[in-house]
Amino acid sequence: MASRLAPLALVPLLLLAGCAAAPAPAASEIPTTGGGPVTVTNCGVEVTFDDAPERVVAIKSTSIELLLALGLGDRIVGTAFADGPVPEQWADAAADLHEVSAFMPNEESVLELEPDLVYSGWESAFAADAAGERDELSALGIQSYVQPAACRSTGPLPKLTFDEIFTEIRELAAIFRIDPEPLVEAQTAQLDAIEPDTRGLTALWYSSGTDIPYVGAGTGAPELVLETAGLTNIAADIDETWTSLGWEAIVAADPDVIVLVDADWNTAADKIALLESNPATASLSAVQNQRYITIPFPAGEAGVRSVDAAAAIAAAVAEFDLP
Amino acid sequence: MIARRWIVTGVLVLALVLSILAAVTIGSAQIPLGDVVASILGHLGAPVATPDPLRDAIVWELRLPRVITAALVGAGLAISGAIMQSIIRNQLADPYLLGLSSGASLGAVSVLLLGVAFVLPVAAFAGAVLALIATLALARAGGPVTPSRTVLAGVAVSSLAGALTSFVIFWTAQGDSYRDVLSWLLGSLAGARWPAVTIAGIALLVVGVPLLFSGRLLDGFAFGDTSAAGLGINVQSTRWMLLTATALLTGAMVSVSGAIGFIGLVVPHAVRLVVGPGNRILLPLAALAGGIFLVWADTLARTAFDPRELPVGIITALVGAPVFAALLLRRRRVA
Amino acid sequence: MSAIEVRSVTVRAGEKTLVDDVGFDAPSGEFTALVGPNGAGKSTLLRAIAGIEHAASGIVLQDGADLLALPRRARARKLALVEQDAATELPLTGSDVVRLGRSPHESIIGGGDPDAEGIVADALERTGATAFADRDITTLSGGERQRVLIARALAQQPQVLLLDEPTNHLDLAAQLDVVTLIENVTAAGVTVIAAIHDLSIAAAHADAVVVLAEGRVAASGPTEPTLTPELIGDVFGVSAQWTRNPLTGRPLLAVASR
Repeated sequence: MASRLAPLALVPLLLLAGCAAAPAPAASEIPTTGGGPVTVTNCGVEVTFDDAPERVVAIKSTSIELLLALGLGDRIVGTAFADGPVPEQWADAAADLHEVSAFMPNEESVLELEPDLVYSGWESAFAADAAGERDELSALGIQSYVQPAACRSTGPLPKLTFDEIFTEIRELAAIFRIDPEPLVEAQTAQLDAIEPDTRGLTALWYSSGTDIPYVGAGTGAPELVLETAGLTNIAADIDETWTSLGWEAIVAADPDVIVLVDADWNTAADKIALLESNPATASLSAVQNQRYITIPFPAGEAGVRSVDAAAAIAAAVAEFDLP
Repeated sequence: MIARRWIVTGVLVLALVLSILAAVTIGSAQIPLGDVVASILGHLGAPVATPDPLRDAIVWELRLPRVITAALVGAGLAISGAIMQSIIRNQLADPYLLGLSSGASLGAVSVLLLGVAFVLPVAAFAGAVLALIATLALARAGGPVTPSRTVLAGVAVSSLAGALTSFVIFWTAQGDSYRDVLSWLLGSLAGARWPAVTIAGIALLVVGVPLLFSGRLLDGFAFGDTSAAGLGINVQSTRWMLLTATALLTGAMVSVSGAIGFIGLVVPHAVRLVVGPGNRILLPLAALAGGIFLVWADTLARTAFDPRELPVGIITALVGAPVFAALLLRRRRVA
Repeated sequence: MSAIEVRSVTVRAGEKTLVDDVGFDAPSGEFTALVGPNGAGKSTLLRAIAGIEHAASGIVLQDGADLLALPRRARARKLALVEQDAATELPLTGSDVVRLGRSPHESIIGGGDPDAEGIVADALERTGATAFADRDITTLSGGERQRVLIARALAQQPQVLLLDEPTNHLDLAAQLDVVTLIENVTAAGVTVIAAIHDLSIAAAHADAVVVLAEGRVAASGPTEPTLTPELIGDVFGVSAQWTRNPLTGRPLLAVASR
């Protein structure tokens, strides 16, 4: 069984300019056994996989999409807490996926699917009132895996890099006994092809919040993506992944570009309406000149779409008429 | 005694004005004093050179309305708290006892999560009023309305509204929308623009100022209902009127800034320590003190962790709770 | 000052009738005691006369005008009540408390009472409570607090003073002080109607008595002629005999169980 890795394309919403389209190599055959037990230390817990998991519950879009990117879509027995629709090229594969819950699933509904792995993009899924505590699941023969970039409990994470993202891809691939290199090579190629902007432009990564905006700060995926695109995040010196930032600081910084995160519960259009209706922010140069770049929510978290996000932003910025 | 009263009043009025002016010059963005003054004067019509549009926007659209709203809300909550304490005859009462803040929270959270945030003040106010109606209806059912019945009814309504709020949050909150909700529940002035000034200002003017003159009536309740009746006060209708007015005032303030805690509870106490329990002096002074306190608490909330912002309810709780505990200990020793 | 004529006052609470068609005269400028066993309705009757308790029927005439028909504040300028066990948690001073009595005379928003200071000082002096003017009322003894509360009532400048069990919980000396106070007040022309639990105090000091039993008037009139041993035996269930107090020369009611 082979899945096609079609060009990763972000869902166009507003001022999204051009997608990087890398040609897709075919995935290799997927073995289900062989190679001995694989042990990983995942978010403070040692997890051993005697065999490649065959029944996976995937929580959060970053998890779902990574599995689809690695061609493992048919092993997904249930999904939960998807943050948005999957990109076009996986839409067919995703259409058959069984959605357990639009939010955090409860333990029983997870167990009902008889998974051997629960893979989550947020650590909070492994709580008694969600999918279940990790040791409890493991006692039932269900392995649990937290996306490393989302692991908070073992202390503050170092600043996110693409190497870290690729390491995560490789670790997951090892667990499944498949070859990650086609995906990693494609991502690396796409990454290398990005031409970062050289005009020293500043940017705001506006995720949500009305009275007190919630923005991308200095150590997480937003920072990585902005830096890769050649932009300086106005909140870069805040030692957090995301943070709440006062409007005054934003207005004082007057970012050249505003990246808007688009989610069902807080759309880019809502954010633009807010920015334009507030007399203080209406005078921001980015608002007056409509220098917005929209990123779908799943692409804003660390995962397979991060390279795409950086590429889309770099391409969009190139179109902006600025000195 | 009378001279002292006027001195304290004068000092507080001056302190409030100075606080507002000082707070407008403080913020994340370093804006020179000259620019701040120029911005304000410019908008007031004086022929001065206005600073560049963004700095002007920061001063006139962000800081000034926010600071003024803080003063208005602080005053309103302090008046409400002082009146509640006299009516309920319990110095530990606060303006939210009648389910007001829980009702407002339910209204606010519902529209926040439905994504129609522009009707937030309306929904919050409607929630507060509905909660008040529910509380008073419950208090009336099966007996005369006494302070303790009213408080207990308020507890019941608060619990119900709180449970519904939690349910709404749990059921519909996606992604990081809980942050907006949390900020509202804790109380925040970050969203206070000129419309908020209008709402809070009208409420204070139309409801709050008349309430400042209710001192004679409130004092009459010092020895209880019989005493008050013996002094010629219509106990039932006075109580209803004052409770309703207090609820409207509190509801309006909460709709603008969320349920900021501890002001209604602690500020009247602090003022009483200085000028005694007589409500005629207490009400206006508590209003002034409440305004000053919230202006500074909000300034702290938006600058202490610059450029990050805290909801101001956290600051008032951090300051208010220990003060409240100290007051409690003091009472125990005296009693 | 005029006499108070209470006519046909009835107070009900649900099914129960607490005060049943009560009528009596309180002579002007005199001390009338309401006596009777526990639960006879003395407190309820006083509160009904003050207009605080809702009377199902009845009038309280003064100079032919029904006080119960007056608006509250107007009535509070003619009638003052010192309620039973009045207490507050607030640290009000003696003068603060007495000033509360000016409330019916002030304007709606307070103020408009230029002679307040003088009237307050005067009331404190008449009750011998001047020393407590600046003291916190919560720190005063029972007897001291009672003086201040009576001063509060006097500050209302009433023509009728209603006292509900003014000697309750007070020790002997304080009880006698209160009685002396009542006599001073009546000497100034105020009509006093007081519910008194202690029959001997009423017997020794009241000018007139109203004997209540089970919500009805058993007898009323000048003290000694009304409180006959037979009546006392019927109403209170004890033997009684009038004699003289050797210390004061006043009438003294001696009682013994049957």
